[in-house]
Amino acid sequence: MALFNTEDNMKRLSLFVAITFIIGLSSLNVYAQDVLKLGIPLPLTGTNAKFGEIEKKSYEIAKDEINAKGGIKGKKVVLEFEDSQGKPEVARSIVERLIDVKKQPVIVGEYSSSCSKAIAAVAEERKTPYLVVTGATDDITQQGYKYVFRLNPTNAYYATGFMSFLNTVVKPKTIAILYESSDFGTSGAEDMVNQAKKAGMQVLVKEQYEKGAVDFKPILSKVKAARPDVIYMVSYVMDAALLMRQIKELRIDAKLYAGGAAGFAIPEFVQNAKEASENVMTATLWSPQIAYPGAKEFAEKYKSLYKDYPSYHGAEAYSALYIVKDVLDRAKSWSSNDIRAAFKATNMMTAFGPIKFEDKEGYTNQNFMDTLVMQVIKGKHETIWPQKYASAQYVYPIPKWRAEREAGWGRYLIIVIFIGALIAALFYLWQRKKIAKEG
Amino acid sequence: MPELELFLQTLIAGFLLGGLYGLIALGMALIMGVMRVINLAHGDFMMIAMYIAYWLFTLFEIDPYIAVFVAAPALFLFGLAIQKYLLNPVMKVESILPHNLVILTVGLAMVFSNLATVFFTGDYRSTPVSYASDAWYLTDYWPNSPIELSLSMPWTLSFVIAVIITIALWVFLTKTDTGKSIRATSQDVDAALLMGVNVNRVRMVTFGIGMILVAAAGCLFIPIYYLYPALGRQFTNVGFVITVIGGMGSTDGAIIGGLILGIFESMTATYIGMGWAPAGRFAIFVAALVFLPGGVASILRKRRLGKK
Repeated sequence: MALFNTEDNMKRLSLFVAITFIIGLSSLNVYAQDVLKLGIPLPLTGTNAKFGEIEKKSYEIAKDEINAKGGIKGKKVVLEFEDSQGKPEVARSIVERLIDVKKQPVIVGEYSSSCSKAIAAVAEERKTPYLVVTGATDDITQQGYKYVFRLNPTNAYYATGFMSFLNTVVKPKTIAILYESSDFGTSGAEDMVNQAKKAGMQVLVKEQYEKGAVDFKPILSKVKAARPDVIYMVSYVMDAALLMRQIKELRIDAKLYAGGAAGFAIPEFVQNAKEASENVMTATLWSPQIAYPGAKEFAEKYKSLYKDYPSYHGAEAYSALYIVKDVLDRAKSWSSNDIRAAFKATNMMTAFGPIKFEDKEGYTNQNFMDTLVMQVIKGKHETIWPQKYASAQYVYPIPKWRAEREAGWGRYLIIVIFIGALIAALFYLWQRKKIAKEG
Repeated sequence: MPELELFLQTLIAGFLLGGLYGLIALGMALIMGVMRVINLAHGDFMMIAMYIAYWLFTLFEIDPYIAVFVAAPALFLFGLAIQKYLLNPVMKVESILPHNLVILTVGLAMVFSNLATVFFTGDYRSTPVSYASDAWYLTDYWPNSPIELSLSMPWTLSFVIAVIITIALWVFLTKTDTGKSIRATSQDVDAALLMGVNVNRVRMVTFGIGMILVAAAGCLFIPIYYLYPALGRQFTNVGFVITVIGGMGSTDGAIIGGLILGIFESMTATYIGMGWAPAGRFAIFVAALVFLPGGVASILRKRRLGKK
């Protein structure tokens, strides 16, 4: 309660501040020559904390690798993660401090679109180059910012890989779209409707469902009656598994079953849907077994350290630091204009894919790259499209459900139970009649 | 023909779903009848049973259907304890609010779902059994059939077990002394007391049996659904709506109410849109309260009286 009220505590506090200040100064003097400090804003608490954590771990892997090879221009890289809590205003003040007080030559980081957007405005205003790592909203690079660069493809380009697969291999005429009635589901479904119209496909069924639904068979029966070529679903993981299980159960034979990333792109989908997940495709930005140089090594390293494969966010963060290294190595000096020129001239390969910042189609300093299609083949996600990065040959046409069926032991069990139930029901009726007579 | 196929398939789905809904509501209706309390923690007890089934499956590979035999006794004892140490003392307290017990169950629901989040995290879990997407098909048995219908194996299995449990409950209520005293208490507490029924003991046993039913429902649901700590609320809602449709406290009404709700939800999903199912559930709930305050049970009673 009275922490700051007593004089004693005030003295202690000022002493503490003085000491930290002195230590801070001395460390600055010692390391100033051969250390490059990079402050990275990330959501380390709050709802996006999970992604912030993945990115933090990935930055650290990249940092250790870069330092082991001599750092950036002979300087050892030190990362300082700043918690933005996923709030744009916090991210904004962090970056203002990094630029104004710490004079950081280049800004990199942040996860969400809204935070990246706030930082982009600050960076542009102060003419400091900013590399956007994961924010996917289109308008960040549509404002003509000169100092903002983005390495990840934008929302509008997310499904391009999947559409090119549809147009070259499947050539579907009709599509059914099922989606969760949330922001994420509706926007994903709207996007697919537009893409499908552009590709000349007819949308036969477009149905939303409430998250947590138990039984999808009614709408799936409707889909079955409509006979679409492609069934496209935007769902989180548990609904994704239920949907595929019930599609298998109803034997809905479409030419293709596809998910809009999210629930379909992670290993839990295969674990939960089991054999019903086989041959299901999904759009994605990156996968741990993609044939980009360094991608597999990064994924394996991450897995050995943290017991799990990284999501594409991790690959983006990992590659971002390599881009910064590349840019700072090439820049004539570390003035903002020289760094900006070096960013512009970037043409490199990373674990996340080829990076080149271009001005086209209304975007400035945007990296355009192929998005991928994954397919579950023999119970594992494999990259199948574009073919030059494929880790396995795609399976198409997809075998019909009927051919896969085999009799299980469960069949006999249920017959026994059925007979049991029948006897019980008869017994019930008989007893009931007897009671009615007595009464 | 595709129209007919769509209709029949929807009907089958609704019937199977309704049977399972009925089992959830059965326990709720039983407790409601004897204790005059709507148990708003019902879904959360189901969540607990599902976690038991989940861990048995994950750690010891015990099939969720067999887990009923563990989860049901466990929840029975748990229910007795809750009744004895929480509900009974509250029942005795005189207060301005007449529905202290209902408020207590809401509190229990919150405690359970939050404890589950603390212990098991908010992750979604499921028991991927090998037969999860097995089904029987009409065309396998009748190759020339003009329409194709499918009957999911785990759904059917769950439904059949639900029917067996319901019949067992009926036999228990009509044949045994304990069952008869439960029914007596449900009909008239004072008369039962005068007849020498130990009402307090009956209340405890009833709550325990309600727990057995909901534990069974949980174990039957987990092979076809999934599990997360906040799942209880959804099923409490379902049970509550069915109890109202069926007529407060009527077990027969609960089963019929469950079937009505299941078929209604499936039909809404097919012919109006799946996004409308929750709204439809609410509409049928209000309609039942306004037009049929006594629920299905009142119709059943009228018919019975009419016969005599």
